[in-house]
Formats: sequence, structure tokens, C-alpha cells
Amino acid sequence: MATLELVDLAKRFSKKVWGVRKMDLDVNEKEFIVLLGPSGCGKTTTMRMVAGLEEVTRGTIHLDGKDITDIPPRDRGISMVFQNYAIWPHMTVFDNIAFSLKLKKMPKAEIRQRVQETADMVKIGELLKRLPGQLSGGQQQRVALARALAVKPKLFLMDEPLSNLDAKLRVVMRTELKAIHQQTEATSIFVTHDQSEAMSMADRIVIMKDGEIIQIGTPDDVYFRSANMFVAGFIGTPPTNFFNIRCSVDGEEISLKHSNFKLVLPLKDFSELDAYNGKELVVGVRPEDIAVDSSDKALFTNKVLVVEPQGSHQVVALKLNDAIVKTIVSADQSVKPGDSIGFNFNLKRLHFFNMETENRIKTASEI
Amino acid sequence: MNSALQRQLRRSAKRTSLYIVLVGILFIIIFPIFFLFSFSFMSDYETYSEWPKPLVPSFKADFKIDKDTEGYHLYIFNKSENDFMPFGPLFFSNSEKDVSNLRKFIKLQANSKITDQKIEEYLRIVDKESKVEFSVRKDLLANYILFFQVINGAARAVLNSLMVAGATVVIALTIGGMGGYAFARYFFKGKNLLKLSVLFVRMFPAVSLAIPMVIILARMGLYDRPLGLSLVYSVGQISMSIWITASVFMSIPISLEEAAMIFGTTRVGAFWHVTLPLALPGLAACAMYSFIGSWNEVIAAVVLTQFNPTFPVVVYKALVGSQGQINLITAGSVAQAVPAIIFTLIIRKYIIQMWGGVKV
Amino acid sequence: MRITKPQLSLSRDNRKKMVPYLLIAPVIIYYTIFWLFPVLNAIVESFRDVDGIWTLGNYIYIFKDPVFYTALFDTAFLVIFSVTIEFVLAFGLALLINTKFKGSSIFLFLAMIPMALPAVAVGAMWSSGLATRGWLNSFLMHAGIIDDASKILFLAGGEMSRLWLIIIIDAWTVIPFVMIILLAGLQGIGADVREAGYIFGGTKFQVLRKITIPMLKPTITTAMILRIISAIQIWLIIVMLFGFNRLPTLLEQIVLNYDELGAASFERIGLALSVIVAIIVSATAILYLKVSGSFEKKKEQEVE
Ligand SMILES: Nc1ncnc2c1ncn2[C@@H]1O[C@H](COP(=O)(O)OP(=O)(O)OP(=O)(O)O)[C@@H](O)[C@H]1O
Ligand SMILES: [Mg+2]
Repeated sequence: MATLELVDLAKRFSKKVWGVRKMDLDVNEKEFIVLLGPSGCGKTTTMRMVAGLEEVTRGTIHLDGKDITDIPPRDRGISMVFQNYAIWPHMTVFDNIAFSLKLKKMPKAEIRQRVQETADMVKIGELLKRLPGQLSGGQQQRVALARALAVKPKLFLMDEPLSNLDAKLRVVMRTELKAIHQQTEATSIFVTHDQSEAMSMADRIVIMKDGEIIQIGTPDDVYFRSANMFVAGFIGTPPTNFFNIRCSVDGEEISLKHSNFKLVLPLKDFSELDAYNGKELVVGVRPEDIAVDSSDKALFTNKVLVVEPQGSHQVVALKLNDAIVKTIVSADQSVKPGDSIGFNFNLKRLHFFNMETENRIKTASEI
Repeated sequence: MNSALQRQLRRSAKRTSLYIVLVGILFIIIFPIFFLFSFSFMSDYETYSEWPKPLVPSFKADFKIDKDTEGYHLYIFNKSENDFMPFGPLFFSNSEKDVSNLRKFIKLQANSKITDQKIEEYLRIVDKESKVEFSVRKDLLANYILFFQVINGAARAVLNSLMVAGATVVIALTIGGMGGYAFARYFFKGKNLLKLSVLFVRMFPAVSLAIPMVIILARMGLYDRPLGLSLVYSVGQISMSIWITASVFMSIPISLEEAAMIFGTTRVGAFWHVTLPLALPGLAACAMYSFIGSWNEVIAAVVLTQFNPTFPVVVYKALVGSQGQINLITAGSVAQAVPAIIFTLIIRKYIIQMWGGVKV
Repeated sequence: MRITKPQLSLSRDNRKKMVPYLLIAPVIIYYTIFWLFPVLNAIVESFRDVDGIWTLGNYIYIFKDPVFYTALFDTAFLVIFSVTIEFVLAFGLALLINTKFKGSSIFLFLAMIPMALPAVAVGAMWSSGLATRGWLNSFLMHAGIIDDASKILFLAGGEMSRLWLIIIIDAWTVIPFVMIILLAGLQGIGADVREAGYIFGGTKFQVLRKITIPMLKPTITTAMILRIISAIQIWLIIVMLFGFNRLPTLLEQIVLNYDELGAASFERIGLALSVIVAIIVSATAILYLKVSGSFEKKKEQEVE
């Protein structure tokens, strides 16, 4: 339970290579923060700086108000789960978990008890005498987790701890991790580039790109109020569809013209768009907000290119001019490639972006 | 801001002390080698008549000639005395014989080449002006040339060494490479024994095998022949090659071979078309490693050669038997060392990989 | 069908099982002819005299010879100190290079040069350096540390000073080789297990002792065994610096008997001495493996 503050944090590896350009982040007590972003955006570098494995180039790190920027990892009160576990192959599971406790000169009986407790928590209580070489991937992962939990850290760092597991085990561990977090209440930072992992686990998500924070917010924030086109395009599977449109204000109405359709919206709900009268902007529509509409009120009608059944739903891809547009359609609807189908947008869930800056244009209709 | 400055200071202090340590280590490594090279370029005069000896060879020699009633006198500049010192014959005349003897003496003792005409020219100046000072460029490679001239069979020995090393590489790499591949890819009885062979063959002193080997080689008609010696070297080099090639093959995933087999080649084909090309740099490094090993070897060669010594034997005999001046011997040593150093430079990238795989 | 199929696969299987043996057959044949045969021959001959009569005389001669005991002591002294010193320094160097500072690959190459130098070049280098009028004294005089009167007589010291001189020179020559093996092992370990050590409360020293060294154990054993075996067999540099019989070691005595003394009876003494050396080398190697617990490790792995 602790707070973490990163102020103007940066890491430069060489003249040309920046690991992190600028990070400002306040993590609250007990919070579960997820760092999310494409490969090479600086997630691992951030974690390693917080852990003390990487010297910072600029900026400060405060844990519980104390400046820990320059103190060695062992004195920071943190613990970490490494992506490839990094459990010590020459020590038994017990010794792995007990390592830090022994170094802290904790009494033997207490160590035994603590190790058993943590091992039970992650369900490896039976494996304490084994060597890591005799464990499955999932079990090794739990050892790494137990080792990190046994410290009772102020801050719990996890760098893609689930990425080496198979899909099913990943979902199981996700739930368990969440439960463990609720039980221990340790402030946690979790790195992943799996967005469903991020959405399901995070209190707040930090979206990074090229060594900088693009958006910090709750899963709802980043999903429904994406700060810019990058976030909107990064979050969600399939990602947000973008349409270039021309905006014109017509009395009480605002009309958005696309080469294939024309949206007419009441100005009072979208008054912020007034400034874009006569200009181009980008509308983002998430796939689930494009619905099949067989009535004559359909916004546009188009031929279906591909249908990807997903069980609970199906993803339908269209080719609109040269762009691919993906929509989500319920599983009971029969759609075949080549069908001509009418579609409509959910007007309450439109996202507007400035064409130059790619930033979100906030509107009153936002939920 | 303050802490950033502190951090920077601490970091540069750390880096500076690291580099100071590194420079110290490098100094210890390079220091003796530097003198080995340095001596090999010095003339006899520099090595034996200057004290303390110069640390670096000079590129020229300075001379002075003057004249009195006895005749002409030659002096050479001695750096440690910081003065001209008498050099060569007590006195000499300008007769053709004296001049040509003088030329030879200068060449032999000071490694400097001067022509008779030039000497005569200087003598004429002395006649006019009573003395002359001049400098002559030193022939830096003189010791190397001389080594091969004075030490009997040195050139022949280089050829022998090349043949021995070449044959050893071929034998060790084929036999050892097969073993290494088996080691990396298969399970078989005695695998551990094979791994330990590198230790076994070292346990019995190599020199001690020489006497029985003399008899065996004589029976095969290979005694005192390069091929015979390479057969002996191969004993140690094969086991080394097994280790190294096993390391190299282990670093190439077996799945690549399997992929090739799925796409229609046989196991042998997969080896030829996939594994071998990938292993080639490592194998080449292994070859150079055993080349260096046999090129440098002297112990067995001393015992096992008679009229056809290898190059190291020649240098060794010159050193132990005090056949030559130290500057000559260092020249011979450098001539022997340079190929080995160059090969090491080439294989340095692979050397870690070569040792990575196999452990006792 | 049901009967032929397993048979077919069995013979296939057998053929497959043959492959590794075919691959190692040349090694075995080669070692039999060029190693096992001469070794057996040497052992047999060490028990015979010049006339081919069986005798223990060669061994008795050795055990009565006081030089043998000097050689034994000198060799033991050299092995214990040179191997220890070399290991410590090489390990330090390997750890340093493994930090991958700027220029570490150049440094690695330069550090490898002593390994590439031929033994005779090493001999020439040091004998030209350690002579009373050698480069080392010259350097010290140029540097103003000593003057002509206080020249150091490197090669003229007593037994101990000669031993230490050899230890230093051997360390200079051999450290790169040990370092390379250790470095290869270190690079196989990977940084993350060490980083985990730091995260979970270890100091640099604790991580080294509890994580790096235990994980490096097989490599360390390899390096140590190879070193011990060749350290016991040191002689060439000694002869090049001091000549024969000035600092007797086991191998030096063998070479002396073989090559210098000439007569056939001495050859046999050399052979007997070789057998003794081989026994000492194997015993030391096995002792080291026992003490370092490598045998137990093996058993553990087999249980897995
Ligand atoms: N030790 C290093 N030296 C030089 N550059 C580095 C180093 N470590 C990381 N980088 C660079 O810094 C940038 C950020 O790397 P980082 O490992 O933090 O990315 P990441 O977000 O964790 O990516 P991934 O999702 O693939 O793990 C990358 O461009 C990377 O190439
Ligand atoms: Mg990463």
C-alpha cells in the first residue's frame, strides 16, 4: 500500500535511442495500474527504472513521498515478477521464495510460515521441495509470483507476467491475480500488450507510445473517451473505424458528409463541432456501434467482403471505397459474403477527432 | 536538479574508475608484448651496447667520422650515453677493402644500409672539414631477414609448420566434427565418456607419448614427417574439436533441420543444406583454433622431429641453445606469433560461442 | 500386417540407433591407435629395463632420487598457487567484461592476445625481459625507479622467488583462457536472474555468492579441471627461463630424461615418471570433482 509518483522521468540509451522520453504519473494507494502500448514503447524501461535496475537519465521517482530515484533496488521496498520468470534454477521452490526473507535475517520458523502461506495463496504449496526445472510453465509462473508476494512489497511490479502462458491459463491467472490484488491490496503496476488483459484488470490504464504517455484513464475512459486516434485505433478488437468527413452547419443542424453517406445531427448536442464548419474532420465509430439496418432508414448500403464468425458474434468486414470497415453483428443474423446490407451508426457513440492533431474533439453527447 | 547533477557526477566517477582499472589491466597485458615487438626491431648495437636499453627501436642510426694520424675513426651515437661512442675498427683507411668492411659492419651491427660510394663521399668530406656527422635509415626488418638467413632451416621449418597445422586441422575437424555432431544431436552410450575424453587425453603427459609414438610412426613410415606430427597433435585437437563443434551445433536449433526434412530432404540433406551453412562460421573458428594450437605447439615437436623441425622448434632451440642474439630470437618469436594473433582477431567473435555449450 | 509393422519399425529403429555410433567410430578408432596404444606401451615399457626384462628398477630409481621430491614439491606449489590466483583474477576479469561497457569487445580481444602467443614467444619475451640487462630493468631505469647499481636480479633468486616468478608468468599467459571459459558460462546465465537477485534484497556480493557462482558451477569445474591438468604439466617456460635442473618439476624431469640425457635407460625412467604423473593428474582431477561435489550433481540430474 503505497503511492508512487513519477515526475518528468526519462531514459536515454544512446544519442538516438530513447527508452522513455517523458513520464509523469501518480499512482494512488492500492491502485492497479496497467501499462499498455505497442512493442518498444518503453513499458519495460519504465518498470526497470521504478525497480532500480536502470539508472534514470532525468526525473525523479517517489515512493510514499520518499525519493527513491538513486537508491539500490533492494532498499526500495518493491518486488517484481519478470516476464520470463527469472526464478533461480539451482534453488528449490522453497529457497526461491525464501531468498529475500533469508537475506532480511527473518527467523527460520517465520520464514517457513510465510513461504507456506504465499505458496498456498498461489496454489503451489505442494511443490516447495522441487527444483524449477521440474515444473511446468504455469507452475514456474506461480513460483515467480509467490517469490514476489512473499516480500509483502509496498509496490508490486509485473512485466508481462502472463505472456508466456497458454491462452486458457492466462485467463485463469488473470482472475487469480486480480483476486490476490484484492486480498493483498499492494499497489501494483502491470505491463502487458494484451488489451483485454489490461481492460479486465486495471483500475487505470496508462497508454504509451514512443516513450510517452498518450492517455491515462479508467478502462471506460480509454475505451469510450479515447484521447486521440492512436488510442481509439489501439484499443478494442477490431479497432475503431475512421471516416474522413466534411462538416457543415445548417441552422439548427449539422451535417457530416462522407463520400458514401451523410450524417445529420442536431447542433445543440454537438455544438463543439460548430468551429469545424466547412472543414474536414475524422469520425470514429467502434465496430459494435455499426448495426445492421434493413429498413430504408439505413445510412448506407454496402456489399459484405468477409465474415469472421467468433461464436458469440461475428465480425463483418466491408470495403467502403478503399478502406476496410469492420462491424460486429450478432451471431443469429445470417450474413454471407457478397450480400448487400444496410448499416446504421449508433449516434450516441460517435467519436470526433481533429484531422491535423488527431486529438479528440469533446462533445456534449459523450457518455 | 541537484540530484541530477549528483547522479551525473557519480556516474562519471564510476565510469572513470572503471576505465582506469581497464587501462591498468591492458597495460599489464600489453607491456611485455610491446617489448617483444620492440626488441625485434632493434639492432645489435641497440640491444647490447646501450644501457639502459632503449624502450623503442630507433628508425635511424647517427654516425660520426673523424680523422687523426692513425687514420679515420667511426663513432655511433649512443642514446643512453647521449654521446658518440667509438664503433667498429679502431681506425681504418679509405682503401676499397676497408670501406666495404665498414659497410658490412654497419649493416650487421646497426641494421643500417649504406653504400660504399656514400662512405667514400663522407670520407672526402672528413678530409676537407676534419669530421662529418651523418645518419643512416635503419632497416627495421633486418632481424627478420637475418633470422631466416642465419638460423639453419628456419624457412623450411615454416613450411613444415604450415603443413603440420593444415593436416591437423583437416583431421581434427573431420573426426572431431562428426563426434561433435553426434554429441549435440543424439543420445548414445558412452556420451559422457566422449565428453571426458578431452580430459583423459591430457592426463597422460603429451611428451611421454612421444617415445612409443616414435616407434608407431616409424612403422608407418611417418617419423620426422609433417603428417606424422599432425597425427600426434590431432589426439589433443580432436577432443577439443568435439567440445567446440558440439557447442556450435547445439546453438543451431534442431527444429531447423526438422523443418528441412519436412520440406523433403533427408537427414543428410538437411545437414548439408541447413546445419552446415549455419555452423560454418563456428566451424571455421574451430579450425583456426586448432590451427593456432598446432602452429604454436613445441613440446611434442621437440621430441618427434629430427631433421624436419617445425618453426616453434627452431625458435625454441635458438633460445634454449643460445644460438642467436636476443633481438634475433624475438624476431623469430614475433614471426611465429603474428599469424596466431591475426587468427585470434578473426575468431574473437565466435570464441565465446565456441566455449558456451559443453561442461564437464 | 500386424506382425511385420513393428518388425519394420524395429529394424528402422536399430539403424537409427547406429547413426551416433557410426559418427563417433572414427574418434574411437583414432584414440585407440594414437592414444591408448602408446599409453599402454609406455606403461608396459616403464616396467622393463633396456634388455626387456621385467623390473621395478625404474620406479625405485625415481623414488630414491631426491630431485623427484623437489620436483614434486615445486609442482604442487605451482599448481596450488597458480590455479588459485588465475581463477580469482580470471573470474574478476570475466565479470568486468560481462558488464558490456563501451569498448568491451576490443578489450576482450586485447585480453586474449596472451592466449594466442606461442609458448616460445612467451619464453623469448620473458627471458629478454627478466635478464639482468633485460627490458624490465631498462624500463625501471628509464622510469627512474632504480639505477644501474640497484638492478634487480630477477632470475638469480632463490627457489621461492623462482617459483613465484613462474606463477606470475603462468598467470599472465593463462588467465585469458580461463576468462574465456568463465565468460562463456556467464553469458549463458542471462542478466535477469541476477537482476531478480538485486530486486529481492541482494547486494552485489550476495548475488555473486548465492546466484552467479552456484549457477556457474559446471563452467567453473570445467575451467578448473582443465587448468589443474595442465598446471601439473608445466615445464617449458621454466626451461626457457632457467634451463634444466634449476627449478625441477615433474614434467621438466621427464623431458630432461627423454631428451637431454640421451641414453636409453633414462628414457625408461622418463616413462616411469610419466606413469607417476598420469596417476597424480587423474587422482587430483578426481579429488577436485569429489570435493567440489560435481559427482553428486550428476546423480541428482539422473534422478530427475
Ligand atoms: N538496454 C538497451 N539499450 C538500448 N536500447 C534499449 C535497451 N533497452 C530497450 N531499448 C530500447 O528502448 C525502447 C523501449 O524498450 P522497452 O523494452 O521499454 O519496450 P517495451 O515497451 O517493453 O516493448 P515490448 O512490449 O516489446 O516488451 C526500444 O526502442 C528499445 O529498442
Ligand atoms: Mg517489454
